[in-house]
Amino acid sequence: MAHGAQHVYTVGHEGREVFWNAPYELILFAFTAVALAIFAYGLFRRWQLWKALGKPEDRMDNTGERVKSLIVNGLFQVKTFRDVYPGVMHALIFFGFFVLIWGAAIDATQFHIGLPFFHGPFYLWFSLIMEIFGLAVLLGIVIAMYRRYIEKPDRLGYRGTPDNRADDAIVLVGIGAIIVTGFIIEALRLHVNVNVDGFTWGAWSFVGYGLSKTLTGVGYDTARILHKWMWWIHTFIALGLIAYIPWSRLLHIITSAANQYMISLKPKGYLEPIADFENAESFGVGQLEDFTWKQIFDSDACTRCGRCQDGCPAYLTGKPLSPKKVIQDLKTYWLERAPVVLAAKKAAAEGEDPVIPEPEKMMVGEVIDLHELWACTNCMYCMEHCPVCIEHIPKIIGMRQYKVLMEADFAPELQLTYRNMENNSNPWGIGAHLRQDWAAGVGVKTLAEDSDVEYLFYVGCSGSFDDRGKKVAIALAKILKEAGVRFGVLGAEEGCCGDSAMRGGNEYLYQIMAQTNIEVMNGYGVKKIITMCPHGYNAIKKDYPHFGGNFEVYHHTEILADLIAQGKIRLKQSVQGTFTYHDSCFLGRYNDIYDQPRNALKAVPGLNLVEMSSNHAKSFCCGAGGARMWMEEDIGERINDVRADQAIAANASTIAVGCPFCLTMMADGIKDRGKEETMEALDIAEIIWDAMGLEEATASAEEAPKEAAAE
Amino acid sequence: MNIVACVKQVPDTEALIKVKADGSGIEEGGIKWVMSPYDEFGVEEALKTKEKFGGEVTIVSIGPARTMETVRTALAMGAEKGIHIDDPALYNADAYATASALAAAIKGIPHDIIFCGMRAIDDDSGQVGSILAELLGLPSVTVITKLDIEGSTAKAIKPIEGAQLLIETSLPCVITAQKGLNEPRYASLPGIMKAKKKPVEVKKAADLGLTVEQKSTVAKMSPPPARPPGKIIQGDDPAAKAAEVIRLLREEAKVI
Ligand code: SF4
Ligand code: SF4
Repeated sequence: MAHGAQHVYTVGHEGREVFWNAPYELILFAFTAVALAIFAYGLFRRWQLWKALGKPEDRMDNTGERVKSLIVNGLFQVKTFRDVYPGVMHALIFFGFFVLIWGAAIDATQFHIGLPFFHGPFYLWFSLIMEIFGLAVLLGIVIAMYRRYIEKPDRLGYRGTPDNRADDAIVLVGIGAIIVTGFIIEALRLHVNVNVDGFTWGAWSFVGYGLSKTLTGVGYDTARILHKWMWWIHTFIALGLIAYIPWSRLLHIITSAANQYMISLKPKGYLEPIADFENAESFGVGQLEDFTWKQIFDSDACTRCGRCQDGCPAYLTGKPLSPKKVIQDLKTYWLERAPVVLAAKKAAAEGEDPVIPEPEKMMVGEVIDLHELWACTNCMYCMEHCPVCIEHIPKIIGMRQYKVLMEADFAPELQLTYRNMENNSNPWGIGAHLRQDWAAGVGVKTLAEDSDVEYLFYVGCSGSFDDRGKKVAIALAKILKEAGVRFGVLGAEEGCCGDSAMRGGNEYLYQIMAQTNIEVMNGYGVKKIITMCPHGYNAIKKDYPHFGGNFEVYHHTEILADLIAQGKIRLKQSVQGTFTYHDSCFLGRYNDIYDQPRNALKAVPGLNLVEMSSNHAKSFCCGAGGARMWMEEDIGERINDVRADQAIAANASTIAVGCPFCLTMMADGIKDRGKEETMEALDIAEIIWDAMGLEEATASAEEAPKEAAAE
Repeated sequence: MNIVACVKQVPDTEALIKVKADGSGIEEGGIKWVMSPYDEFGVEEALKTKEKFGGEVTIVSIGPARTMETVRTALAMGAEKGIHIDDPALYNADAYATASALAAAIKGIPHDIIFCGMRAIDDDSGQVGSILAELLGLPSVTVITKLDIEGSTAKAIKPIEGAQLLIETSLPCVITAQKGLNEPRYASLPGIMKAKKKPVEVKKAADLGLTVEQKSTVAKMSPPPARPPGKIIQGDDPAAKAAEVIRLLREEAKVI
């Protein structure tokens, strides 16, 4: 056989000595076969567990888009790179190994079948590349170890306790050992070869070559024996790690890639509506089985990287929720339940009674604590930044639906909110007939009075009923009138958009709200809608189409930026002070509207715009989304206060917002921090209206409570 | 245990109430109708009692067709069946006529305990529960915030100014519920769906062998007098402003 033969080390004969000095091919094949068998069995077993539970869901359509996601997020690691430090760390290991594995495979192939190009300068470059990427992996591993065991960032744990497992260490040490032994093997080989006449290309393998310099004094025979042992150790670890993949965190190589392929191709923040209330037996997710198989699979793709937790407003303010923990707890629960279910199914297939034992723990309430479940603001930070495309929010809402629709067991203050929405179509429970009162004196017509308009201005509950929100609605209506936009409102025919009901798990109420609005809107032949609340914006744009409401929907900041760009509104009054823009989650992360609000602000003469530490896609939620607006926040710090701190740190005197919920939250945050003398929260519409200089500045935020008290 | 809860459909507390020009009642258009909040406490207590002792809860209500919705709401919360007395002679009837219709319906079914709200929030009469008890020949305990049933004894807590009374009575009896008795539940969705199929008997007064007799009538309904506008005292000197406030309170408002 070839590997025993003498080699001639001359130019033109450069080649990697894969099996040099290790002539035990049969044994090698046997071990490889065993490793692959363990790998295959592990994967098969896992496959069964993936399939054991959950409802069907198709994530195999639209191959093109899916391959694109796999290339972008898998191959090019785009989402992983969003966080530079761990991104680079992972890239070193990922790209390093990616290259090494292909290199090793090509190398082994060439050894057995002899690739014609595998010598000469090509080979030398190949050696160099392998060397560099080997070093990259090693560097990546060292950084990872440093990070995990010395630096210990909070995201690799939960509330200060690292969640390190033996598996993490095994994988890190294993990969590190493959590289180190690889270099040692190379050094030993070079140590021997280097003295053979004509051997001049050692420097192409610079790490091994450098290492070989330390081996002076080691006899060639010893070196050959050491080489043999090292080679086997190297090979065993490599094969061992292959066999270990399905049983360890290395499985994420497969599951994460699969998850990136099976990415949701629906609009961001999409929630599958409940289709048939009349005939369904249960609603929402009470058992693991109520998830779709893909939702369960998600949990097996989680790498515990903690990026989701790192920006979760609930976690960062001391609530029990961590999106990582939710996914990991579901995974643990699934790994307990799936084998039991699998065994029961197998028994059933063999003719026994198909009894699936009851779970020992309730999923909603025990595995996932209710405080966790209800702490989520639906801010979508977790989903936006999960490198492996895990979808947290639909799971959380599914479980909320179970608590609300099936058990009617949820916070009393939210029950009151829902009753208010049922009876008066707004969360405050203010008489529905008062919906149009804000517009008294602004001269806005309803569609009933004049339906020949371009836009429906859907005011929403805050703009209609909240004292602060009303001012925004007034400012916006004045701007639109001034700019000559033809628009109308629905007046008392308008209803709540239903977002809080949907995100709080009350899909039934939500659909009633949505259908009522759609009926009215379609009745007037509405085509285009302007909303001043990102929650209504998102609901009408993305969810109303399920129920026959197909509209072109614009958020007012889009319209404002556009009117300014077109010169339809002129900003002549300059402003003073430092402004910062707070991204509303439902504008930013949900709808990628980041620039329009900023452009509108920048157009104001003299406006100095600064960014808070968290901005754009990494923006920090105000705390009001996901029906949290209506619930007590009694655990940990208040989310809006923490956000206000960021504005204070940015030296902002005005927090500009594009969302009435954010407006309330930021104003409260400013007050809680005792900054109401020097800071205020304003909607962009108010800022623009002031800058138009057509009347005395609109009343600022602080006047609202005084007025309210006087009523 | 056979439990009965009487409910009344009333305009939502936030609804815009307009008195008809002829003073015969209110304009009903555009009004959202709901279960009177005190009746909700009654229904909730009825359900809790059932959950503790077993049995059935029957809802009894009087009113036009729309009242069915309120009966269904109570069924969605968990009651088993309903009796809807729909007879124009009873729409807007006085407390006596209302109580006699309820009594006529309840006499025909087994009843160990009957719950009513302490009053309905529309006419605020607060008499129906007591008259009902009288007509059925049962004891009544009104305006209670806590109820314990042991065997055939009901122990109820009734708050009064500066104290609370523990009242004992024997079953069957009529209980009228005050705020604080419980937190009415939010109906579950399966509850709402099932409620659509639960049995509700619709009856006329005659079906109950009843001739409607009123002891009183509302002669005229008129809107409350408009609130006089508030006054803002102008001036720069706080002491003078304070003195002016005192003067006005004394001389104009005559409250001090
Ligand atoms: S949506 Fe926001 S609040 Fe909810 S788990 Fe994700 S990051 Fe946390
Ligand atoms: S859910 Fe995603 S972001 Fe969160 S720990 Fe798992 S892999 Fe990381």
